[in-house]
Amino acid sequence: MIRISPAVKHLFVKEFTSYFKTPLGHVFLVIFLFGIGYLTFEPGRGSFFYIREASLGPFFRHIPWMFLFLIPAVSMKLWAEERKTGTVELLLTMPVSVAEAVIAKFLASWAFIGVALLGTFPMVVTVIYLGSPDLGVAFLGYVASFLMAGTLLAVGGFFSALTKNQVVSFILTVVAALFLLMAGSPPILEFVSTVFPKYFVDLLESLSVLGHFDSIERGVFALSNLWFFSVMIVFWLYGSIVLLNENKAD
Amino acid sequence: MSKRTQNYLKVFLALFSMVLMIYIGGALLKRAKVDFTQEGLYTLSPGTKSILSKIDSPLKLKLYYSKTAANKGTEALRAFNNYYIYVQELLRQYVSHSRNNLSLDLIDPRPDTPEEEEAGVYGLKKFNITETESYFFGLVAENESGTEKVIEFFDPSAKDRLEYELTKLIYTVLNPRKKSIGILSSLGVVAEDVNPYMAQIMRMQGKPVSESWMVVKMLKELYDVKKIDLKGDSIAGIDALVVIHPRGLPQETLFAIDQYLIKGGRLLVFVDPNALSDRSSQMAAMYGGGGPSFSPDASFKKLMDKWGIEMKIGTYAGDKYLSGVGRFGQGQMPSRLLALLNCDARCTSPYRDAVTAGIDRSLFILPGVLTKREMKGLTHTPILSTTEKGNGYTAASHEINNPARLFEKFSEGTSPVVIAYRVVGEFETAFPAGVVPDPKDKKKKKKGKTPIIKKSQKESAVIVFSDVDFISDQFAFKNTFFGPALANGNSTLFLNGVEALTGDVDLMSVRSKGKINRSFDVINRIELEAEKKTADKVKEINASITRFQGELNRLGSQANEGNIALLQNEGLRKKKELAKKVAALKRELRMVKRVGREKIERIGKFFQYLNTLFVPLLLIGFGFYYSRKRSRITQMKTVERDEVRS
Repeated sequence: MIRISPAVKHLFVKEFTSYFKTPLGHVFLVIFLFGIGYLTFEPGRGSFFYIREASLGPFFRHIPWMFLFLIPAVSMKLWAEERKTGTVELLLTMPVSVAEAVIAKFLASWAFIGVALLGTFPMVVTVIYLGSPDLGVAFLGYVASFLMAGTLLAVGGFFSALTKNQVVSFILTVVAALFLLMAGSPPILEFVSTVFPKYFVDLLESLSVLGHFDSIERGVFALSNLWFFSVMIVFWLYGSIVLLNENKAD
Repeated sequence: MSKRTQNYLKVFLALFSMVLMIYIGGALLKRAKVDFTQEGLYTLSPGTKSILSKIDSPLKLKLYYSKTAANKGTEALRAFNNYYIYVQELLRQYVSHSRNNLSLDLIDPRPDTPEEEEAGVYGLKKFNITETESYFFGLVAENESGTEKVIEFFDPSAKDRLEYELTKLIYTVLNPRKKSIGILSSLGVVAEDVNPYMAQIMRMQGKPVSESWMVVKMLKELYDVKKIDLKGDSIAGIDALVVIHPRGLPQETLFAIDQYLIKGGRLLVFVDPNALSDRSSQMAAMYGGGGPSFSPDASFKKLMDKWGIEMKIGTYAGDKYLSGVGRFGQGQMPSRLLALLNCDARCTSPYRDAVTAGIDRSLFILPGVLTKREMKGLTHTPILSTTEKGNGYTAASHEINNPARLFEKFSEGTSPVVIAYRVVGEFETAFPAGVVPDPKDKKKKKKGKTPIIKKSQKESAVIVFSDVDFISDQFAFKNTFFGPALANGNSTLFLNGVEALTGDVDLMSVRSKGKINRSFDVINRIELEAEKKTADKVKEINASITRFQGELNRLGSQANEGNIALLQNEGLRKKKELAKKVAALKRELRMVKRVGREKIERIGKFFQYLNTLFVPLLLIGFGFYYSRKRSRITQMKTVERDEVRS
């Protein structure tokens, strides 16, 4: 069994509860839950009530685009704020390694997004009341959303460690997230294929967060999807650790 | 190299190896998947996998989908995108299970390109969206030797049968040699093939064009279908024999069927206590002659006795819980009819048989009751039946025309009534003494008595269904915008039966994945209720108008020179009364419709608010409570500190 060091545990709890101690965490949750609810029921032909199918498809379809702006908002303060105010020095004087600090902060923010996703439970209640949804697929939709959130948070954490400016961190994360979401979209692949060879196009397609998200959300859980999200999280976190060590040396 | 450069190099290398690991890992782990969908939508059945494992040379799949055109088109056309993604996903599964023998090309045929021209040459269905844009959604399978088969168009409403269609396509490319099926029928099931051009000319000339039944046309796509002569004395060179509505067959033909089975042949038999598809008997009935057209007749019954299967004429299988809604005659109100047996999963799932598995919607029309008699060496397996509440009922012709009475008379049973049996084993002949050739037929007389085989040397199989009408065009198909389409699982049942007997078990096991209804039940119920109320109101309005017209007519008939003015006034008064009444009823009708619509809108609004506002408001409330609590604690601490200081 993996032993979690008490320092990581303590830091995790501290970071996680800090989201609920400031109005910012509440504002984030309110915007996310209101936004996703509104988009799902938005008037129009893609609307959940217009389609009249007891499935969470219309709901999950909007999750990546909500995350595109909200995850960078959460991740930007992970390190940039600490570095700007100088509290990072204080943090690293504590009996905790940089790697431990990165993991604890990442897990806390991931758990926070998990809470945000749990807050969408009325959607599940709605489909169960209205018809007979495929609960296996619904469950996988949540798993896919959670894994995608983890990946985007790891990317955001990296950019937050890269700069002291929260706004710069936010913009860089949005750009990177947009690239990762759109990497597999046909117009982009088509454009790339006119310039680069086929293996490069395949490579780009395999990096698509949206492609892997869609694949799980449709109801098929592939090991390759899990591999993708795990590798992404681990390597972006590693990048954050290297960057913070570098800054520590400064 | 400075520490900083080293670190940045580390980050760069890490990201580079991340990309490579994702790419390689993704390719290696592609096949390890768990399908969480209830219907197993993305899981290939063992039958498909088995067929794919038999591919030993490259086979190219070309999926044509006009994606660009669809995105430019209407909302309805864009909806096809989702189905395209599903087809593509399923085809990828095929490729990953084919040991690299299958390759998939995705083609978006743009206007005036070689791809568009090619799609046309393959015979894919083309829909013109605008003057320049046309829409294709089909598949071509090609092997090295140039054999090609196509799916002209993917119809989203046939999603549950998609895997079967795809596997059939690959199967037919792999097995270009068709197996041959003989069909012997007293009805015009198989017609001579007339080319469509000739058929058109014949129709223009007012000549009747006889066409094969649709199920036979479907069978011809997969098999070489031979029509067996009703008076033939030997049956050979076919892989299975389909016998439909056997009546009036000569002894020689019966003997040929008997011997064909005993030599190891396979039989699919459709008998019926009342075959509505027999037009000749219907015509006779119209002119007051003859009773229902039934099979087996006494001579075919002799064969069935040897199979240990019996069907009583005049007795039908019924089930109130499966009875369909329909009109029995022109002008009659639709009602529940015992004659229509709408079979669902309850009829097939208890048997888990390869022939009936997955068929959750089939319709039988006055099916008979099959009973078995134990025979040595034979195994009888029921494959389709009514529910436990089903029962056999007898009905004379005049009773069949009175469905309401029949429904009342019916008494529920305690065990399922079997409609289809499979009999496997070693059969004995029904003609131990052989048949003596017709003395009038000189040719046969010369040949003398045919040698008899009295008992099977190897296992044979017979599948018997107690209905004929269910495979007729009228009950198995419906007309749609895209041409004839399957109305239910009846034709699949027929094809399953043939495939089971010709030994293509792999293809047979790839059947419909089943459809699970995921529409909003609650909303449907409300709409149904509103529709029912609306229909009642419309009925009431129509009844008032009819009554008024009746009264008007009555007044008209009483009119004479002396009272015409009076009656005209009376008529006008009644007309005004009626107009008022109809207006009031129409108001009520609008109200009923509005109430239904508003109820649905209310539910929609409720869930919209629940999903957009409920949790956010809770959070805001919690946030306020928490911040107030915190500020109170801070205040108290400040006060305490001040007190300590002072």
